[in-house]
Amino acid sequence: MDAILKPVRAVGRGAVSGVTALGRAGYLGVDAVHALKKGSLWVPHLPAQMARVGVESVPIALFIAMFTGIVLALQASYTFTGTVPLYFVGTLVGKTMVLELGPVLTGLALSGRVGANIAAELGTMRVTEQIDALETLAYDPVAYLVVPKILAGIIMFPMVVILANGVGIVSGWITSMALLDMSSQEFVKGLRLFFLPFDVRFAVIKSASFGLTVTAVGCAFGFHTRGGAEGVGRATTRAVVISSMIILVLDAFWAMVLL
Amino acid sequence: MVDVHKAFGDKEVLTGFTLSIPEGQTTSVIGGSGSGKSVMLKHIVGLLRPDQGEVWVDGENVSRLDQESLYKLRRDVGYVFQFSALFDSMTIEENVGMGLMRLGDHSHEEVRDRVMECLRLVDLDGYDKRLPSELSGGQRKRAGLARAIATQPKYILYDEPTTGLDPVTTAVIDELIIRMADELSVTALVITHNMTSAFRVSDRIAMLYDGGIRQEGTPEEIRESEDPVVKGFIEGRPELMESVP
Repeated sequence: MDAILKPVRAVGRGAVSGVTALGRAGYLGVDAVHALKKGSLWVPHLPAQMARVGVESVPIALFIAMFTGIVLALQASYTFTGTVPLYFVGTLVGKTMVLELGPVLTGLALSGRVGANIAAELGTMRVTEQIDALETLAYDPVAYLVVPKILAGIIMFPMVVILANGVGIVSGWITSMALLDMSSQEFVKGLRLFFLPFDVRFAVIKSASFGLTVTAVGCAFGFHTRGGAEGVGRATTRAVVISSMIILVLDAFWAMVLL
Repeated sequence: MVDVHKAFGDKEVLTGFTLSIPEGQTTSVIGGSGSGKSVMLKHIVGLLRPDQGEVWVDGENVSRLDQESLYKLRRDVGYVFQFSALFDSMTIEENVGMGLMRLGDHSHEEVRDRVMECLRLVDLDGYDKRLPSELSGGQRKRAGLARAIATQPKYILYDEPTTGLDPVTTAVIDELIIRMADELSVTALVITHNMTSAFRVSDRIAMLYDGGIRQEGTPEEIRESEDPVVKGFIEGRPELMESVP
C-alpha cells in the first residue's frame, strides 16, 4: 500500500510546492507594482541595473547573433540552390533573425546570464539576512532590489535584441558575399522584399516580454530562497530553467496573437 | 508579546509565548539552538507575523500594522543580526549610513559625521572605507552594531551578538552592549545561549523552552533557579533537562 501511496504523495507535495511558489511570485508581482510609487528607492539604482542587465549582456548576445547569421545564410543557400532564387537568402536571414532567432536566442542566453545572476544575488542576500536587514532599516526590499532589475530587463532586452538582429543580418550579408557568390545588391533585394516595420515592433514586444520574464523569475526565485548555499544553487538553476520554458511558451503565444 | 504562536509547516516553534520587555533595561532571552529565539525576535520588528497572538511595541500591535506603519516603527528599532548581515557590496561607511539616508532629513555631511561617531563608539574608527569582507568576525559584529545605533533608536535587538566569537571578543561585544544601554539609555533585548554574556549584560533574563517562557527573573534569580530545565541549561547539564517529562 505504501509503495502505491509514496509516488502519489510525492506528486502531491510537488503540486503544493509549485502552487505555493506561484502564489509567492504573484504576491511579489503585486508588491512590485505597488513599489513603483516609491521612486526614491528604485530610480537611483535603475541606470546601474540597466548597465548590468543590458550593456554587459551585449558581447554574448552579439556573439550568438553573429554565428546565427552566418549559419542562416549558409543553410538558406543550401536549401534554395537550384530551386529558389538566391536573393531569398537575404529574406530568410532578415525575417528569421528579426522575428524569431534574434529575440529567442538572446532571451535564452540572457536567462542564463542575467536570470542566474539575479537569482544568485538575491538568494545570497536572503540567506545572509541582508534582505531582512534592509527591512529593519525601513527600506522596502521590493522597491530597492526588485523593481529596478525588472524595469531594466523590460527596457534593455529590446535594445540588446535590436543590436543582435542588426549584427546577425550583417554577418549573414557578409557571409553571402564572401562564401555564396551573391552580390550585396542581391542580398539587400531579398532583405527588403518582405520586410515590414511591424516585424521590428513584433521583436521589440517579444523581447520586452522576455526581459520581464527573465528578471521577474530571477527575482522571484532569489527573493524566496531558503536553505543556505544549496538553496541559492537550487534557486539559480530553477530560475534559468523556468524562465527558459516561459520564453518558449511566450514565443508561441506572441506568434499566435500578433502574426 | 502576548500568547504568540508560530509554526513553520508541522513544526511549532512558539506555542503561547508571552513576555514583557521593561523600558530602559536590558533583557536577555536564553534558550537552546533551534528553540525559536530568533523567530521570537523577528516578530518584534514584523519580519515574521504570528499565527496567533499579539506583539505590542510602543502601543502599536505590530502584527496588525500595514507596511508603511511598520517601516515607521522600525525607525525606532535597531537590529543587530547574528551574522551581522552587512551589505557586502558596500563599504562600512555606506552600511552604517543606510538607515540615516533612509530617514531623508540629513545632509551627506551630517550622515558622514554620524557614521564616524558611531564607528568611534564601537571602536572601528578608520575602518569606514573597508568592505565587510575585509573585517574580522568581531569587527563585523561591531559594524552591525554601529549600523543599528546610527539612527538613535529607542530599542536595540541583538540576535546572538557573541555567537562564534572568542572569549576576549565576546567580552568586548558585551562591554559595548552595556555601554549602549548606559550611554544611549536604550531598551535592549539580547538573544543568546552564552550564559556568561547573559549574566554580564542583563537586567533581566527569560528562558525560552518548548515554545514558551520557562522562567523569568533577575540574573541572580536565574542563577539560583531550582527548575531542572533552567539549571540544566545554565550549568550545561543535559541530564537535568532530560529528566523533565
